[in-house]
Amino acid sequence: MAVAWIGNRETLVERAAAHAAALLGSSRCPVFSLDTDIHGTRAAIALAERVGAAYDHADGAALSRETALFTDKGAMTVAPGETRRRADVVVIVGELPQVHHEFVGELAGTVPDLSAKNQREFFLVGPNGASAPPLNNGRAATLLSCGEASLGATLAALRAQYRGRQTSQPVSNFDDFAKALEVARFPVFLFSGDATDGLALEMLQGLIADLNRTSRASGLHLPASKNGWGSALASTWMTGFPLRTGFARGFPDFDPWRYDVARMIAAGEADLHLRISSSIVQPQKKRHRMALIALAKTQKPIAGAAVTIAIGEAGVDHEAVFYSSRTGSLRSVDARAASELPSAATVIRLVASHVSAEAALPC
Amino acid sequence: MLTKIAGGDIIDPVNGRLGQGDLWIRDDKIVGAPAGGAADRTIDAAGCIVMAGAIDIHSHIGGGNVNTARLLLPEQHAAHQARPAATPLSNAGWSTFQTGCLYAKMGFTTVVEPAMSPGAALHTHLELADIPIIDKATLAILGNDDFLLSMIRDDAPSTMIEDYVAWTVASTRALGVKVINAGAAAAFKENVRTFSLDDVVPSYGVSSRKIVKTLQAAVDSLGVPHPLHVHCNNLGSPGSADTAASTIAAAEGLPLHLAHLQFYGYGTEGKRKFSSAAARLAELVNTTPEVTIDIGQVMFGQTVTISSDVMRQFSARGSASPKKSVIHDGDGNGGGIVPYSYGKDFYGTMQWAIGLELFLLIDDPWRVFFTTDHPNGAPFTAYPALFALLMSREARNEMIAGLSKSAMALSTLAAIEREYTFEEIAIMTRAAPAKLLGLTDRGHLGAGAIADIAIYRRNGNIAKMLGQAAYVFKDGDLVVQDGEITHYRWGKALRLNPSPDKAMVRRLEDYHQQRYGLSLDWFNFPDSAIAREQPFGEVACRT
Repeated sequence: MAVAWIGNRETLVERAAAHAAALLGSSRCPVFSLDTDIHGTRAAIALAERVGAAYDHADGAALSRETALFTDKGAMTVAPGETRRRADVVVIVGELPQVHHEFVGELAGTVPDLSAKNQREFFLVGPNGASAPPLNNGRAATLLSCGEASLGATLAALRAQYRGRQTSQPVSNFDDFAKALEVARFPVFLFSGDATDGLALEMLQGLIADLNRTSRASGLHLPASKNGWGSALASTWMTGFPLRTGFARGFPDFDPWRYDVARMIAAGEADLHLRISSSIVQPQKKRHRMALIALAKTQKPIAGAAVTIAIGEAGVDHEAVFYSSRTGSLRSVDARAASELPSAATVIRLVASHVSAEAALPC
Repeated sequence: MLTKIAGGDIIDPVNGRLGQGDLWIRDDKIVGAPAGGAADRTIDAAGCIVMAGAIDIHSHIGGGNVNTARLLLPEQHAAHQARPAATPLSNAGWSTFQTGCLYAKMGFTTVVEPAMSPGAALHTHLELADIPIIDKATLAILGNDDFLLSMIRDDAPSTMIEDYVAWTVASTRALGVKVINAGAAAAFKENVRTFSLDDVVPSYGVSSRKIVKTLQAAVDSLGVPHPLHVHCNNLGSPGSADTAASTIAAAEGLPLHLAHLQFYGYGTEGKRKFSSAAARLAELVNTTPEVTIDIGQVMFGQTVTISSDVMRQFSARGSASPKKSVIHDGDGNGGGIVPYSYGKDFYGTMQWAIGLELFLLIDDPWRVFFTTDHPNGAPFTAYPALFALLMSREARNEMIAGLSKSAMALSTLAAIEREYTFEEIAIMTRAAPAKLLGLTDRGHLGAGAIADIAIYRRNGNIAKMLGQAAYVFKDGDLVVQDGEITHYRWGKALRLNPSPDKAMVRRLEDYHQQRYGLSLDWFNFPDSAIAREQPFGEVACRT
């Protein structure tokens, strides 16, 4: 089975890696898009430092909203395990990514054993017509909405009404919510940056802070992408900064606008794109004067890529470390169907070994 | 490879070696002078002090809360210059890579991260594995977790509690156990806002004292070399000296280590109801031989407080500077990240003076440990300046001249004449930490010890001398020369490895399935997950 291509020509992985390294070495503005596990991220950041690249998550916008909540504002958060065991009121804030629906269903199918209430109520904050992930046993979440108002505006109205202030439009079912809060011991708000903008996330944290003046409440962060949040954590310990960091100046430089890789590509700033994702199957839109190096789980070259190297899927073809939104921390997983396909980290290190440098890679 | 460190002033209190002489290294170990042996390499240490590599027993260098603090404060730790070619990422501000380099430059070769949440053990060890050069270790946090509190409530036999502690230490690859404001994080989840030693955790009916005593006994019985590491209740509160005094009294003959005692050295005298209780606490420590303490010295300037004492951090949110914080309710403790700037006002001066009073009034350097509770009292990069304050009364007096006079009027610091000697520094930062942690292979320069060696060129400027080692060897590798990193290498995380009791593992599997809907596999990890060769080094329990 072929595992590496230069253009459409099959080749040895070693040669493809050397060619990729040559492209990186001659690039004036390389950018990396990551959708990989912790070790793939570590290797990619080490390579980014070596070649002066900027790096971002493959779907960086949602992740950037989540990291901005922490870098700019701070937050009150709770672990998923505590949510399951303690949350007697669960408030779903906006639409949650599909990947978290199973956990919401699990919350609906269990009771909080560490709460005296021993039952859960569900609310959903969003515009009219918003739907919550399916709850067990035909249960439904009570909708808290201000008609067609945005999520941020609805949360602002909810916060204002909770503090006894006037709002231009009342929140639907607010009395039910207020009653639930009166007896709640530990309400938890489920949030993600997927469909929630920065202002809404900030307003939500304001509401949680208000609740904590006299009682307890917190927010459960359900990341838009587990790989994205894992990469953000690894990047933060390696460089001090989350994704959207660049090494153009020889040291890590965090700038969520400047190093928005999608923006850099669209603006024509980048001349080389290294995309690392086991799930790439579709070619990216061809960009004039921008070369693509694709590390993907593929049996054929990615259309338009100058170099394609096949990698295994983390946790399937090889063991991996992921962020787990189910535990709220990193988790080691064995290979589900071990294969000889190399990991992203292995291939990235191979590429890096062909880039001239005075020191060994740090990881 | 045979290395001779020639003609240095050797300070090795453990082996009673004080004075000029040679020190020999063969590969990674210190050896006696070989008969007629010719060195492959000779280091001229004339005019230098030669000590074992320093050991920091309490420094928050990695793990979920530390990383959240990095995330919260990107504006505080930008890198300033392009990286040196030989040390990738070492100039990345507050990165794991920088942490190892900065410690090594000061001659530190082993550092303990004292607050590892068991559920985040893999994350913590991955961060530690990216800290170059030095060896690391962790203390696993217990004492707010439902499993333990339930066992105590239900009067579980002490052997069962020991099995749980042993399993936690083994599965998280920890070197010891820490309890942080015992019971308070659990109580905070039930909206309790203050919590003292004899307060009871709602729903469990278990007092903080009972939790501490239970864990202290379990740690001792298991032969964990490091005594239970206690972060007391009421950290930072005026009057917290009473809590610390009660906790010291609760040691009751069994070893107990109290962390960052400075943060409990607060009385309630004076018009501000905030005064120094350092003399009282120092006297208690002096007369309670089973107790050891570290200081958590405050130094002035911007820092960030990182603590798994979530109740305390929640109450401190209002003092955040800049105005942002993270408060996390975790499965056990959780944590809080609150940036803070220590000013030279009354309160900052008082905290600074209390820490120094404790250092100088506690007589036995084997029982007082050199920490700033990095970064809570100050970043560890303040260590050189702190050494200078301990070793020079003149340096203290110069500093005092620029501080709050009203605070200094309530402190005995200006009247204390003691100056630490190099021998006492070697005890406090090398010999005693190794003894406290059960690390017999380091902290001294005897034959057979690992070649962790720090060599400092004598200089009247103590901070400069101890801040930039002339040479540092780690496991025999020369890693620092003239204050600069010369060689990257990867240390180990030191751990205990008690055998887990099979019945306890089954019980925990059932517990996790029932309560969390998850198999225990979700929390375990193989060593290969760390992706470094030999990421762990095993330390024996006492027999």
